[in-house]
Amino acid sequence: MAGIRLENVTKRFGSITALDGVSLEVQDGEFFTVLGHPGAGKTTLLRTIVGLEHPEEGDVFVDDDRITDVYPGDRDIAIMFQNLALYPDKTVRDNLAFPLRQAKTPKPEIERRVAEVARTLRIESLLQRKPAKLSGGERQRVALGRAMVRDPRALLLDEPLSALDALLRLEMRAELKRLQREVGRTVVYVTHDQVEAMSMSDRIAVLREGVLQQVDVPEGIYHRPANRFVATVVGSPPMNFLPVTAVRSGGGLVLRHELFETAVDSPDAAAQPADGDACLLGVRPEDVHVASGHGIPASVYVTEPLGGETVVDLDVAGRLVKALVDPTLALKEGDAVHISLDGSRLHLFDENGEGLVSAAGEPLFNHLIPLR
Amino acid sequence: MAQIKIDTLTKEFPGGVVAVNALNLDVPHGSFMALLGPSGCGKTTTMNMVSGLEQPTSGEIYFDDEPITRVSPGSRNVGFVFQNYAIFTHMTVYDNIGFGLKIRKGGLSKAERHAEVQRIAEIVGLSGSLDRKAGRLSVNDMQKVALGRSMIVKPAIFLLDEPFSNLDAAFRAYMRAELKRIQHEIGQTMVYVTHDQVEAMSMADRIAVMNLGELQQYGTPDEIYNRPRNRFVAGFVGSTQMNFLPAALAPSLAEDGRVDGVTLGIRPEALDLVPTDDPRALLRASVVLVEPLGPKDIVHLEVEGRPVRVVAPPGRRPRVGDNVGVACDTKRVHRFDDETDLTI
Repeated sequence: MAGIRLENVTKRFGSITALDGVSLEVQDGEFFTVLGHPGAGKTTLLRTIVGLEHPEEGDVFVDDDRITDVYPGDRDIAIMFQNLALYPDKTVRDNLAFPLRQAKTPKPEIERRVAEVARTLRIESLLQRKPAKLSGGERQRVALGRAMVRDPRALLLDEPLSALDALLRLEMRAELKRLQREVGRTVVYVTHDQVEAMSMSDRIAVLREGVLQQVDVPEGIYHRPANRFVATVVGSPPMNFLPVTAVRSGGGLVLRHELFETAVDSPDAAAQPADGDACLLGVRPEDVHVASGHGIPASVYVTEPLGGETVVDLDVAGRLVKALVDPTLALKEGDAVHISLDGSRLHLFDENGEGLVSAAGEPLFNHLIPLR
Repeated sequence: MAQIKIDTLTKEFPGGVVAVNALNLDVPHGSFMALLGPSGCGKTTTMNMVSGLEQPTSGEIYFDDEPITRVSPGSRNVGFVFQNYAIFTHMTVYDNIGFGLKIRKGGLSKAERHAEVQRIAEIVGLSGSLDRKAGRLSVNDMQKVALGRSMIVKPAIFLLDEPFSNLDAAFRAYMRAELKRIQHEIGQTMVYVTHDQVEAMSMADRIAVMNLGELQQYGTPDEIYNRPRNRFVAGFVGSTQMNFLPAALAPSLAEDGRVDGVTLGIRPEALDLVPTDDPRALLRASVVLVEPLGPKDIVHLEVEGRPVRVVAPPGRRPRVGDNVGVACDTKRVHRFDDETDLTI
């Protein structure tokens, strides 16, 4: 078990900068997730930790040992890739034992370790089978077992669930989290799936085009996103943005939209915009409330029933705003409605998408006043 | 525009694999129909037979009462959008969208073509990118080009095979609403193949759920979600899977008193966490795991050794190991016969 630290790591491939000055620290025993779109540099980050890539700049540490120049095989870090490479002609037992045999581990020790890993992963009954006779989830467990069997200092997982179908993914998500808690090992987990990141992680690092955007607990990423990109990357459907203009009156700040205005009551005055600045008001779909009678006028563009809830796409002054509503609310295309936004859940971003204020449960934004 | 009728359609591949077995489906004119199922369920084979890329072993497909299984794919007037956008990367967006009109003999004048390209570009949201080379666009915009290219030739039937599965989640959410709206505007019959129940539920007028080559249920999203015909459909639809429990564990939920050979199906959002001594508590459970998703938590419980998931607001999050009571909206309990897996 060990903590991992990256200090100012930059990795280039020709003219492409895959990682751009990334610094982060993974705590010992933590489930740490790197979240980002395809091409964000997530896999390069893992490959740099395990030693398959050498950074142009910066260093990698495990605990306090600098391992930047240590040979991958000597780093004692295991990695499991998206495409599980199990040996098709070997039984599960032999697949699990393989890394130990390579390391010339004594036979009784191999047996002990294989039995232990099989018990943890609940695959004892599969030990005699060949990979072709296993289900997708079982193969996943075996691959995980093979990564765990040498008892590495840290376990790196690269999109391990993305090849599984939806139901199995759901099951394996919970299973992986349980396992990590049980064995207490440091896990660095890479995914493009925000649900996996939110549901499993102790902390999440959001990566965009090689640049680290934010490192925080899942609630922090969700409720206090550092910028517009982070706000969009978590949450389903993603956060809505409404264009507003900052109006300075007295010592206070008012945000004016075509259809409404709201005063901001934030102690973080330094971060607030100047008079006349264009800003974006961010609101998550679950914090948009559809009512009839009073509020901000909107019309129903389309409805998307999901079963347990319904996404309503609303036309608000020519911009689409998605709201999550109860499925019993009968709305159809073209309906005129009114909406209100939860003032304790609003976010303010500057023109470039940098986060200025996030309410995160505090009523920082006053009640919205319709302008018509 | 056209209606599609699929009549006892069967496709058997060499080696005896029956990919589609005696499928019957009626797709009304102008509707948005989703073929939904896990990989290998026969949905893509079904679509390939509609488009003409595969010949059925037996059965017939009709477009507006005309049998078409012996009509060549090119003459069926069907438009496609695939997962991997088929576009000309060296051509501009404008030329890509206009391509289908240009190659059509005896077609529109240049001015009419221009107006049509502009109109379609507007619909798919590419008006500002018409002069750009298609190969320079983002993956998201390339898929819009593919959509526009198919739309412009006004096919009688529009077939889409997992068109959004390579796109990022935020854009998928955006395109879901856009495609539904586009379909309502152009009124063309659409068949949409997907393994993603969210896409099927959110966009389609009707959903055909398939498994192992067999049609499981054909109905509106509301019917599929709230009145699943069998245990497969019940378990496949819903973002957090339905809980299945032997009725004997909660006999109070068995309305006719029948407990043997019955499985209860309860959606995670129909359950609620309450104190163990609460009179509403129908089940006692211990908390195994909490998955925070942001607006809600998925709380994993164990009830007599069986997993039960509850969707709960994050405000009063329990801790792993806590003992809790589980209340249930009894009107939302489904019951399945263990012999047949059919809804009772």
